[in-house]
Amino acid sequence: MNDLLLVRKNLFRKKLRAGLMIASILIAFAIFGVLASFERAFNAGEDVAAVDRLVVVNKINFTQPLPIAYFNRARGIAGVRQLTHLSWFGGYFQDPKNFLLVFAVEPETYTELYSDDFDFPADVRKAFIGERTAALVGEALAAKWGWKVGDHVPISSNIFSQKNGSRTWDFTIAGIFKSRSAQANTNFMVFQYEYFNETRSFLKDMIGWMALQTTSPLVNEQVAKAIDQMFANSSAETSTDTEKAFNKAFAAQLGNIALIVLLVVGAAFVTILMIVGNTMVMAVRERTREIAVLKTLGFTGARVLGLVLGESVLLALLGGVPGLAVAILVTVLVRDQLANFVPGIAVTVPIALLGLGLMLGLGLATGLVPALNAFRLKIAVALGRG
Amino acid sequence: MRSLILQVAAVTLINIKSIPQRLWLSLSTVVAVGLVVMVLLAFLAMANGFERTLADTGSDDVAVILRGGSESEINSTVSRDQVRLLEDSPGIAHDAAGKPLVSAELYLTIDGLKRTTHTRANLPLRGIGPTGAAIRKDIHIAQGRMFNPGANEIVVGKGILGEFEGFELGSTVASGTTRWSVVGVFEAGGSVFESEIWADLPVVQSLFNRHNYFQTVRARLVNPGALAVLATAVDNDPRLKLDVRSETAYFAGQARRTSDLILKLGWPLAIAMAIGALAGALNTMYSSVASRAAEIATLRAIGFGGFPAFVGTMVESLILAACGGAIGAVATFLLFDGLTTSTLGASFTQVVFSFKLSPALVGQGVGLALIVGVIGGLFPAVRAGRSPIVAALQE
Repeated sequence: MNDLLLVRKNLFRKKLRAGLMIASILIAFAIFGVLASFERAFNAGEDVAAVDRLVVVNKINFTQPLPIAYFNRARGIAGVRQLTHLSWFGGYFQDPKNFLLVFAVEPETYTELYSDDFDFPADVRKAFIGERTAALVGEALAAKWGWKVGDHVPISSNIFSQKNGSRTWDFTIAGIFKSRSAQANTNFMVFQYEYFNETRSFLKDMIGWMALQTTSPLVNEQVAKAIDQMFANSSAETSTDTEKAFNKAFAAQLGNIALIVLLVVGAAFVTILMIVGNTMVMAVRERTREIAVLKTLGFTGARVLGLVLGESVLLALLGGVPGLAVAILVTVLVRDQLANFVPGIAVTVPIALLGLGLMLGLGLATGLVPALNAFRLKIAVALGRG
Repeated sequence: MRSLILQVAAVTLINIKSIPQRLWLSLSTVVAVGLVVMVLLAFLAMANGFERTLADTGSDDVAVILRGGSESEINSTVSRDQVRLLEDSPGIAHDAAGKPLVSAELYLTIDGLKRTTHTRANLPLRGIGPTGAAIRKDIHIAQGRMFNPGANEIVVGKGILGEFEGFELGSTVASGTTRWSVVGVFEAGGSVFESEIWADLPVVQSLFNRHNYFQTVRARLVNPGALAVLATAVDNDPRLKLDVRSETAYFAGQARRTSDLILKLGWPLAIAMAIGALAGALNTMYSSVASRAAEIATLRAIGFGGFPAFVGTMVESLILAACGGAIGAVATFLLFDGLTTSTLGASFTQVVFSFKLSPALVGQGVGLALIVGVIGGLFPAVRAGRSPIVAALQE
């Protein structure tokens, strides 16, 4: 009889009790897995941000526009490898409730600057640049509405109108692009700024913001300073920051999601720590005589200690591993529904590893007191108790 | 019948008195249930607080008029000509001098620094004319004074002052190259207007280059019923491609998405945690029944029925769950009720709100606790009621 068998037999001596413990641990780890994935996906903007990319926005607020002239002026600054500009369109499809992420962009520089995140094949690029009403649609967005290359799609804006009074622009889908990394989400579309600027009834020659790639992350700060200095004391001062800092600040606008996740997961773990911890103490106390017998048979204190700890760790793993599996299932099921809000929700390898670490921690923590009790147990006293 | 009641009372009392024997296990159930209730109530109080803030903002006799399809003030544009047409529309109230109570406004976003995270956040800057404050209910200046027409002066809502840095009375706020002086702090009955910054409309129009248009129009109606009259008139005029809503309906729509989201997170989490706590409760109650197996059998042997044993166990479970529910509710009240925070609302600007617990919400929390208590007690209680006398006594 090896120790593992002994551990297993001990754990399942009371099947109902073991089952209940496993159930509560399973739920705690399912909550941990889902919430950790949610938090990571929510703050993914920070992770996907390229280290050499900067964002230039109006200093008043990023929703305030910048003059198009800034685009050509900022391009010449030393340390800028590539620069593009984007404008928020406020898009929806057919009904204002069907909100879409749509940006008007400068096609040539846009497809170059974001070529690391998204796959823009040469022919697709050419088709996009060559046709005034062309649009590039992300794979996820195209799949959602069943759009194909060559389709003509009418997209409305909840902000802008055309000079003829219409709120709807017609686009021809020149290509559907894929993401190059798991975190970069494709639930959006882009179209030509020129087309937008010529047809809209107001904000002519204004752009939303600029994005740029520096020649090296080392010059980020210097480039940012140069740009902000260039436009200082003008009617539209700029604020240049790394993409990472910008994304982080934007995520923080919603609230301290990380803190909420930490509190809820903390509450779930305190719960199982108490329930499982107390149950383990009780289970081992019930076996006092047996442990004394084991010791009489020559089991060392350390070995008995190991048996009890092994039991609590096994319990944590039996509940925790399926718990993480449940979390994976849940994230797969809700991924599409949350695509607009937290794209790319998934139980990642670091989350799974952290989960395993927590299982070990939980197992050791809940087993510690009863294991020490068993370790210290005096045979004569224990056998005398009965 | 009387003897049954006495039996039930006696067994229940034994059950309750035996709780200290399983103190730690019972306590862990109480704490587990308490934490479940706390998580649920914190989310419910958050959603409720957010909804209350927006609900308190709406007025039934004020119409909010936006560009068709815009859905929120920040996206909308309304031209000067459209405002003039609206001023002559039916259903709108007039002041003593006979001027229509119509307020054309700008709604822009500027940056503010959030006190808690020191990150930049979107704050709404509203440009209003003389009718702007008059059209809203419950607006009063708590500190300082109202801005002067034509001056670079702002008044800030109480919520802005609390959650964001640098808006104290007398301070200067830089926004781009513009310098604003904070000349007043206003209160608006805890409504979402307290999360706004107000300035003189022509000043905002000129500083932000929006000379000939507005974003949103508010109109005081002669009575709430006049909304339909105004809406019909607007629909029938091809020059007015605008959506007319009551302010109440507008803010209710704004509240829905965020509070739905909070509830959609809170309830599944609380239910999942409740199932985890349920496993703990079942474990505790099975232990309770097991530890008293001999005692229960003895009672049965001297003539007690199975029913009292069932009730005793159920009551014990319910007491533990109710204690947990009460502790959870009190803890939520102490830790979260009144806690002020802010989030990005549907207008893409920060809405300052407070967590608000209500008796109905506490009822939902305690209800969830009692459900855990009932299910957690039921199976062990059935076992207690049915345990065979002889087998139990032999153990």
